[in-house]
Amino acid sequence: MDPVITVEHLTFRYPTIASASTEAAALKDVSFSIHAGEFVGITGPAGAGKSTLVLTINGIIPHFQSGIFQGKVLINGRDTFETSCSEISRQVGSVFQDPEAQLVTPTVEDEIAFGLENFGFEPGLIESRIQEALHLIGITNLRNRSTSELSGGQKQRVSIAAAVALRPGILILDEPTSELDPMGTMEVFEVLKQLNQQFGLTIIVVEQKINILMEYIQRLLVLNQGSLVFDRTPREIIKEPETLHSVGLRVPPVSELAYLLKKAALYTEELPLTVDEAYSGLQKSLGRRKEEK
Amino acid sequence: MSVIISYFQRDSMVHRLNPLTKMIWSVVLMMLSFMVTNVYILAVLFLSIVLVAYLAKILKEMLPAFIGLLYFAAFFLLFQVFFIPDGKTLFVLIPGTHLLRVTDQGLLFSAAMGIRLMVIAASFPVLLGTTQVKDLVVMLVEKLKIPYAYAFMFITSIRFIPTFVQEMDLIIQAQCSRAHRLDKGNFIKKFLSICPLAIPLMITSVKKAEQMAISMETRGFGSGKRTYLHHDKFALKDWMICCSLFVLMVIGIFFNIKGFLG
Amino acid sequence: MIQVTDVSFQYPNGFTILEHISFQINRGEFVALIGQNGAGKTTLLKQFNGLLKPTSGNILIDQVNTKDSSTGELARKVGYLFQNPDHQIFLPTVEKEIGFGPANLHLSKDEVKERVREAAAEVGLTQYLNENPLFLSKGQRQRVAFASLLSMQPEVMVLDEPTTGQDYQEGIEIMEMVKELHQKGHTIVFVTHDMELVAEYAQRVIVLSEGRILIDDVCRKVFYQPELLKQTNLFPSQIARLVQKFPDYSKRFGQALTVRELYEQVLKMTESDFRCLL
Repeated sequence: MDPVITVEHLTFRYPTIASASTEAAALKDVSFSIHAGEFVGITGPAGAGKSTLVLTINGIIPHFQSGIFQGKVLINGRDTFETSCSEISRQVGSVFQDPEAQLVTPTVEDEIAFGLENFGFEPGLIESRIQEALHLIGITNLRNRSTSELSGGQKQRVSIAAAVALRPGILILDEPTSELDPMGTMEVFEVLKQLNQQFGLTIIVVEQKINILMEYIQRLLVLNQGSLVFDRTPREIIKEPETLHSVGLRVPPVSELAYLLKKAALYTEELPLTVDEAYSGLQKSLGRRKEEK
Repeated sequence: MSVIISYFQRDSMVHRLNPLTKMIWSVVLMMLSFMVTNVYILAVLFLSIVLVAYLAKILKEMLPAFIGLLYFAAFFLLFQVFFIPDGKTLFVLIPGTHLLRVTDQGLLFSAAMGIRLMVIAASFPVLLGTTQVKDLVVMLVEKLKIPYAYAFMFITSIRFIPTFVQEMDLIIQAQCSRAHRLDKGNFIKKFLSICPLAIPLMITSVKKAEQMAISMETRGFGSGKRTYLHHDKFALKDWMICCSLFVLMVIGIFFNIKGFLG
Repeated sequence: MIQVTDVSFQYPNGFTILEHISFQINRGEFVALIGQNGAGKTTLLKQFNGLLKPTSGNILIDQVNTKDSSTGELARKVGYLFQNPDHQIFLPTVEKEIGFGPANLHLSKDEVKERVREAAAEVGLTQYLNENPLFLSKGQRQRVAFASLLSMQPEVMVLDEPTTGQDYQEGIEIMEMVKELHQKGHTIVFVTHDMELVAEYAQRVIVLSEGRILIDDVCRKVFYQPELLKQTNLFPSQIARLVQKFPDYSKRFGQALTVRELYEQVLKMTESDFRCLL
């Protein structure tokens, strides 16, 4: 099957007006492809080019942000240069970091209707899409609320619902949980998991919170200074925590613990991604040790 | 201030009217108030607004605005009443002189001006209190053919008022924590003391606006002909009310012209 | 140092966010304040430098009641680091930005300059003193904000989510700076959602829930009461959660909070197993 997103030798440089620090390219020769139904995480230190990459996938670059663009980005096989931004947004739904700034209308219902109205859907269809989106995200009860009175987690779920209402095949989220508490963060990831597993949505999420990211995703792209430095599964990445450390990131504490113990020959199981895995792994390893003695 | 632009969710016949009807009502009242010079009719016009607010079940919320207007009109009357020399003298404020003389015509005229101001200013909060801004905007775009982008700017500016108030609060607090003081010195010093607040507000606002623009672009803003989820029907009662308003207008114009002729 | 006595706080719209809170923070403590969004953490923090004054009850900072003092005066004693540095940066160079606070304290030019130099060195911004802070990265701007707090030389530092929106490395670097300040004798109070940071740095943890104090204890004790934490939708650090999965954990691992601690525990345990068998 053809990939839904193909990025080929992508280099992007912002116009150098403001600061000296943008002289370097924001993205340097980045290549990867993503297939339908994947749940992909993107992480990397600040300034690695994560947000720029998001903008190249949802068409804001090159359509609204100018700069020097080399290489290609294909969405469902079509070059983003030759597709209009609004056409791309039918295929790629976007959710951003600041819950305040991306909600543009006063109520939840209007917010979800906004995109549908922009594309000229019939009122009857808008209504059914609103119901569908609210139901999928599990926020039907919020429909008539004013957006200003919602919690951060609720606001972000409204943003996801607004993106999903257009039925895009791909959902891309740029640090959607950075302003949320642990509970709000979990709410967002649970919704993403459901969208991915039950409805086959391709999900790409940029995230700094590595613990929760590793629990949910199937594949991790790590950017550093504009380059794609790793593209592996979480299981492969935790086998070599030094590689993440080298770019100023870390693996989840339980993975790191198991890794250290394994080096001391005290952990015999496959390295864990979650607390539960670490528990059963540690139990087995310690048990086995006792038997051996 | 906030009461003037707040919407109050109620289940009332006024709320169910088409936004255009309510807008026409507001405009007709304003025009009538200019045509009518009779104090009593003006008072009736004002009371009709109070009645509409009552029917809309928002009288309690509107009361502060109405009372405020009353004070304003009273102040206006006091200010005006001494400057109209025509008519029979009712009384003089400083006895034995001709200073601060109040005449019957002066009193009636100033009272009319005061109530006229109240009529003009009172219908607007009732309109916004019973009509959601988005519905007004839809109406402006659909019926009056105002470009959606302008109408949208209007909606969004209202949506972002609480956000900016919040930002401003944070900025003031952040600068206060650095021992910044706002209230000192002459005009120039005062102006300079605003910079630590204005510059961060400008910068964060630009960032928010940029983010909002991106969020709109990724949801097809301006991608073609737009539709609207809620389409307010122009119902029979809307026609009836608009017709009555039209008749009132005609009567008003008729008497106005007759008044001039007579 | 900070004495909170029966403090309640109500917003003008009548919403009560803090209810009858009392506690005391002594000189030289390192305290984490945790809780869900909306639990009242930031509202409580803002009471410490007088940005908000209690509706009822009293807060004494070094024996001075915040009600009798302005934020400007309290700024000499309590420094406050806001979440978003963009809410305060407005001057064209890093040097001026850091010097804004001390200049407001009417110090001599030389004194201001000296303080700016020290503060910039402390956060590693010396080479950026002549740059425009707007063109620095988000992490560097946070350091500018941090330095402009240090230049006021406050005894108490109050930090509202100092690492939010930053990457792991930047977050650790900021916390290491905070730790150093603590070792120099400063009193630290910080708010965070990152339980790994709490486990790594905080000595004492105060858990707020719906405007009240749910738990107030040393970090280890707090993270080993998961049921209580769960009431307010918080979870201990990963390692503490892992340890508590073992039914007989206290005998086997003690109460480990971090990777290093648990690693050493396991090593010790297996060594002793080994000795037993010998």
